[in-house]
Amino acid sequence: MTDGQRSPTNDGQIVVSGLTKQYKNVRAVNNLSFTVAPGRVTGFLGPNGAGKTTTLRMLLNLVTPTAGTATISGQRYADLATPLRQVGAVLEASSAHKGRTGINHLRVICAAAGLPKQRADEALALVGLTPAAKRKFKGYSLGMKQRLGIAAAMLGDPRVLILDEPANGLDPEGIRWMRGFLKNLAHEGRTVLVSSHLLSEMQLLADDVVIIAAGQLVRQGPVDQVLGSMAQGARVRVRTPQAEVLAAALKAQSATIETDEQGVLLVGGVDAPTIGRSALAAGVELHELTTERPDLERVFLELTAGKAGIR
Amino acid sequence: MNLVRSELLKIRTTSTWWWLALGAFLSIALAFAINAWLAVTTLGGDAEEIGVSAEQATAPAQAANLYTSGQYLGLMFVMLIGILMVTNEFFHQTATTTFLTTPRRTSVIVSKLVAASLLGFMFWLATTLIDLAAGAIFLSANDYGTQLGEWPVQRALLFNLLAYAIWTILGVGIGTLITNQLGAVITAAVLYLIGTQVVGLLFLLLSNVLDSQAVLKWQVIWPAVASQVMITEGTSEFTPSWWVGALVLIGYALVSGIAGVLLTRRRDIA
Ligand SMILES: Nc1ncnc2c1ncn2[C@@H]1O[C@H](COP(=O)(O)OP(=O)(O)OP(=O)(O)O)[C@@H](O)[C@H]1O
Ligand SMILES: [Mg+2]
Repeated sequence: MTDGQRSPTNDGQIVVSGLTKQYKNVRAVNNLSFTVAPGRVTGFLGPNGAGKTTTLRMLLNLVTPTAGTATISGQRYADLATPLRQVGAVLEASSAHKGRTGINHLRVICAAAGLPKQRADEALALVGLTPAAKRKFKGYSLGMKQRLGIAAAMLGDPRVLILDEPANGLDPEGIRWMRGFLKNLAHEGRTVLVSSHLLSEMQLLADDVVIIAAGQLVRQGPVDQVLGSMAQGARVRVRTPQAEVLAAALKAQSATIETDEQGVLLVGGVDAPTIGRSALAAGVELHELTTERPDLERVFLELTAGKAGIR
Repeated sequence: MNLVRSELLKIRTTSTWWWLALGAFLSIALAFAINAWLAVTTLGGDAEEIGVSAEQATAPAQAANLYTSGQYLGLMFVMLIGILMVTNEFFHQTATTTFLTTPRRTSVIVSKLVAASLLGFMFWLATTLIDLAAGAIFLSANDYGTQLGEWPVQRALLFNLLAYAIWTILGVGIGTLITNQLGAVITAAVLYLIGTQVVGLLFLLLSNVLDSQAVLKWQVIWPAVASQVMITEGTSEFTPSWWVGALVLIGYALVSGIAGVLLTRRRDIA
């Protein structure tokens, strides 16, 4: 648009721009800007108290920003004509009345959003909660509550999904189910923004990451790119009874070498085939030769070092 | 309209309101028994002995009283329902879901107010039907006739409806002001049950100090008193006209509704 106004589109893109929230004593979110693309799972990462929940709540018009804007498909959440049909959200504190059954919880939402009643049954089936439909919320396990939250988010078959720590309280089977579920949604072209600090899970799930610490952006981009940008690239773990000999041979090829436990070298700067050839040439026996990619956890800890901690 | 439907569904799908309805029903039974005794005694000619004025000792006045039995506690119960409609959202953390579904918060509060007044209407209807049936039988059995043709009786019934609607709305307003469930319920119940007596005493004191009986009329600024004034026929030295009570109540409903909307619009939901 020529007049610089953002027009409402239905592209499913999330744009956060200059978002700030000042609480009495703490600047929970500080001039934060990032974008989230449709068709991908975006992991929203940060240490405890980094401001993830606050950011998501501002995005959803539950908390008023001190400054900045957040839009979904070019519109503020409050301006969406049919919010549930466009955005589904599962938040930490989204809960249900303890004395209401799961199905009735969903029907209440359907009524308010003008959705047909049978969407409640469909959404329950989608998350595998049909057997517990008529049980009261207070009798639900943590994982069942989480699934009910997801069912509520899916009622309007939304283009955009926003989840705050959805893996909380899920068992390994549940986590795997969630992973498949979210990946599938992204595959269908939807936008999936999911906050978490389960980094190993995020590595399996996310295509992109947005990392924040102390309310500020630390890094944003595709997971591979963020991993690749780290000072330390891949390292190779080598186990050998003749560590000194091999170390000397590799140093000649300007490899960086750290020793881990007795008889194990962590070699950087050269790849595994090179190490294998050097060992063969030096007549060194190898018991193990593994390439170790930098994982999200290491990168995360490095990026947020010094900025973590409760504020 | 969808939103009002959703609010009514919220109430229907929990058991709280059953308990309040049960409470209201019990208070009708209790009040009816007391009012029936009162009617028999006053109309039997012993009005003076129990301190009932001549104006009140007529068959229509007693019939009106009988037909609105249970109003005193009933109004408190509908107010509590109004309060719970709001505080439940915070107590059970459903406010997040509610405001995600409807980001226009004014609409949410307005639909709560509408649903509340509908509910007040239903409570009034149930109460009145019970009172009408029991009252008509009782009065006829005691040879006073049903008195239903009398304007004072009809008037009392209609204004009782207004009272039910307004008190439920008032409850919603109180809920938005005090979102803590226990805090709101206790504050409101104490103010309703004990506050009226305290206010009565204060005004008595004030009228002694100022040496003016007229001051007593000003008790009407207290909602429970206003409500009583509104459904009572006739004025005395101590009570202003019914429409003063009505205006005061409507004023309270408006103020609490508007305050509720304004507060809710600004509030961070976390
Ligand atoms: N309502 C509030 N009033 C005052 N401070 C708040 C409020 N909500 C959050 N904060 C503060 O804002 C900061 C960010 O909190 P937030 O909940 O957004 O973090 P988070 O990244 O979601 O953390 P976690 O991983 O623990 O869920 C914290 O320091 C927190 O204490
Ligand atoms: Mg959080």
